[in-house]
Amino acid sequence: MNKKLPFRFFTTHPRVVILEWDRKPDNTLLNQLIDFQKHILRRFKEVTQITQGYVSLMLFHNTEVHHIADYSKKLYLIFESLPTKAVKKGRLWQIPVCYDNSFALDLKALALKLNLSPEALVELHTSASYQVYFIGFLPGFLYLGGLPKVLEHPRKIKPSPHVPQGSVGIGGKQTGIYPFDSPGGWYVIGKTPYPLFEPQKKKPCFAQTGDSIQFVPISKSEFMELDRQKKNGSLKLKPS
Amino acid sequence: MIEVIHPGLYSSIQDSGRFGQQFLGVPISGAMDQIAMHWANSLLNNPKDSAVLEMCFRGPKLLFHQSTAIALAGAHMNATLNGVKVQNLNAIEIKENDILEFGNASKGTRTYMAVAGGIQSPEILGSRSQFKGITTDSRLNKFKLIPFAKVSFVPKKGARLSIPKLDLKNFKITVYKGPDYDLLPFEAQNQLTKSVFTISPKNSRMAYFLEQKLIHEIPFLWTTPVLPGTVQCTPDGTLMILMRDAQTTGGYPRVLQVSDEGLNLLAQKSTRDSFQFHLRAV
Repeated sequence: MNKKLPFRFFTTHPRVVILEWDRKPDNTLLNQLIDFQKHILRRFKEVTQITQGYVSLMLFHNTEVHHIADYSKKLYLIFESLPTKAVKKGRLWQIPVCYDNSFALDLKALALKLNLSPEALVELHTSASYQVYFIGFLPGFLYLGGLPKVLEHPRKIKPSPHVPQGSVGIGGKQTGIYPFDSPGGWYVIGKTPYPLFEPQKKKPCFAQTGDSIQFVPISKSEFMELDRQKKNGSLKLKPS
Repeated sequence: MIEVIHPGLYSSIQDSGRFGQQFLGVPISGAMDQIAMHWANSLLNNPKDSAVLEMCFRGPKLLFHQSTAIALAGAHMNATLNGVKVQNLNAIEIKENDILEFGNASKGTRTYMAVAGGIQSPEILGSRSQFKGITTDSRLNKFKLIPFAKVSFVPKKGARLSIPKLDLKNFKITVYKGPDYDLLPFEAQNQLTKSVFTISPKNSRMAYFLEQKLIHEIPFLWTTPVLPGTVQCTPDGTLMILMRDAQTTGGYPRVLQVSDEGLNLLAQKSTRDSFQFHLRAV
């Protein structure tokens, strides 16, 4: 591998190319990756879609990829010409979360393990702002960065077989929202009434890569009211 | 409409998949054996990726409310129309109130049923493929009605599609190197490309787990995009081949990538079937 190249280039399938950066994810790289994707999609019409990881991109092509040396060189040049400073900030979403014990099934247990009071844990969780690194795993699942270090804790040894949709959890260095009922190993500390993925909508997921998320604590009665609005279809989240 | 009297073991509506929404975490989905789907559709002059019924292990019992034509491809499922045997790979005329019943799969795992004009269940995000959280139902359920297009198609007498027979005993799956293949020690690379692997009972539309383990020491990876056919290896050496309903990102080393042909072949394989990987340059 040539150390001077900005990223590694793999053709793993005749129509798929993976680009990978040998570094830790951070906001600078995130902004570059967002910018880079726009340039690639504009420049190469054969690229039909790009998916993203923390430090990688996957390029899907509608035809077989040939002239790999030439192609990778073109991509290197585009990447190196990108500004390293953030050009445009993403939107900020304030997501209502109810941390009441009836939803926060593991709040007490996690607080005990972290040597915090449940109130302090919630205070810390809601005071941080989280970056959407990418969306993956399940439809509408946001990979968020920015969990305060004091809230980091390994996942549960035994995953729960059923975590309800909308549950907000902490696992490892991550926090996130379960878009659907699913099994899961994160400590559940609250629940949002807001739907993460609405397949019938033209834009099924409100957030996009590069946006920021804040969790806003709400009471159980506020949760019930918002949940009622969700059921009749009038619940809408606006970026601030 | 087609009424589902009994859904079978695992039947679902599938097409060529939901491509273009993967950046939102939506799996590609689609027919596990795309070639068999194409064959079934082509017998009815349908566009080759019209939505079909995918049936796994044991097929359903169906009642047709209107006349139409159908075609079957893939595994043999001992299908009977009003009690009379029908064959794969030819167009079959269906009359109102006909009952089509499937048995157990042999010579493969999955059978495809195309309907003249295609199945017309709601298209969501560009596809009719059923998936939990995307379509109303994640698979075929009892008493559900499957809508299909009304087109006049009269099957030609004796018209059949002849296709090469699948060698189900001795088969090789063509693969390419995954991004992490070169991080494997020589012995592990050798094992991957030279030894025989067996599909474990843990196999579904999402992933096939293999019985044999691969010893490796690839360190922690940042979660990356994956796609159907990506072969991942967990820290304890378990190999899993991601299939059509695979999640869009994953955190395990990606040692191989199965070719499109290889994925279609694997769709007809199941528990205890064994195979070898055949490594090819992209």
